[in-house]
Amino acid sequence: MKRLAIVTVVTAALGGLFLFGLLRGAPDRDIQSARLNRPAPTFELPLYARYQAEFGPTLDSSEILGQRPMIVNFWASWCGPCYEEAPDLQEAWRRHGDRVQFVGVQTQDRGKRTEGRAFIDQFDLGFPNVIDDDSRLGIEYGMFGVPETFFVRSDGTVMYKHAGPVTLEMIEEKIAELTSS
Amino acid sequence: MIAYPSRLYRRGAAPWGTLFGTLLAVVLLTGVAGAQEAAPPGAAGGGAVELESNVFEIGRQLRCPTCVSQSVADSNSAIATEMRTEIRELLQDGRTEREVLALYRERYGDWILLEPPREGIHLLVWALPAIAVGLGVAALVLLMVRWTRASRAAAREAPPDPAQLARVRAELAGDANAASDAPDAAPGKRADR
Repeated sequence: MKRLAIVTVVTAALGGLFLFGLLRGAPDRDIQSARLNRPAPTFELPLYARYQAEFGPTLDSSEILGQRPMIVNFWASWCGPCYEEAPDLQEAWRRHGDRVQFVGVQTQDRGKRTEGRAFIDQFDLGFPNVIDDDSRLGIEYGMFGVPETFFVRSDGTVMYKHAGPVTLEMIEEKIAELTSS
Repeated sequence: MIAYPSRLYRRGAAPWGTLFGTLLAVVLLTGVAGAQEAAPPGAAGGGAVELESNVFEIGRQLRCPTCVSQSVADSNSAIATEMRTEIRELLQDGRTEREVLALYRERYGDWILLEPPREGIHLLVWALPAIAVGLGVAALVLLMVRWTRASRAAAREAPPDPAQLARVRAELAGDANAASDAPDAAPGKRADR
């Protein structure tokens, strides 16, 4: 009787594990950022010409961090999902750009200035976009691929990282969190 | 005539002096190898080949962020190429392998390491297989001891088969008769059947 109970428990445990493996679906690829709740890396990178009149030839993040929240969006001209999310980012900037600093970072896209300019022009992106030609800023942020968006608190710490295209609703929700904290 | 080296060990004598010398040499060589590993690559006598070899060695331990199951050393993706360039620059700046790996762990967390570090919760990954094998061997030994004991006890407790008993008695009796019928047989020696 005791042996039967042991065999039943072990079989049920192994069966449960097997079922879990079958039913859990695709593994979660959105790995949590190691940067969460830690200071966001600072950067000074060249800007596309259309933003230089307002910000100068480069954008220095240390002038923004500590003053207001920042949303850093990494994109590339070859990245399909980046085209999906760009209108939502532009709309979010139009609504909240006065209290949250939006920054676009063209990364993993070495030497593709013409394509980058076309991307910006296509969506008429109003927020500054910088060029991370050697992808070093992406690596410093611990970025896995494009698009990825980092939500940085006004104290300069990373609140949240989103892998994949963002939506307007999601940006609104995160901005509410950023501005309430 | 064969010429032997002059310093042959005497048979049976322990060559302690030479053993000590060998051990000392091993310890010193290990120390030198360890020091080479700990020193910043390229700092002393490190040429381009050594630097590249160190870049490869570190890249082999790091996971390519945009690839599937590929190391930074193996991948040709843009980000892996850039990471190799950065590793090269860090080593040239005098950073050690440990420091470079720590920098990438700071950015990407433990995920970036292809082999889980031997510390904290990650120790489970290394210890569990050994524990599982140990438990399996222990269970096997326990079962074997139980089975052996059970079969012995069963043999002791089982009543003897009357027919077999009779046959054994008959054979014993036959042995006794054969011994008495053979006057030349040496005392205590069993007769051949």
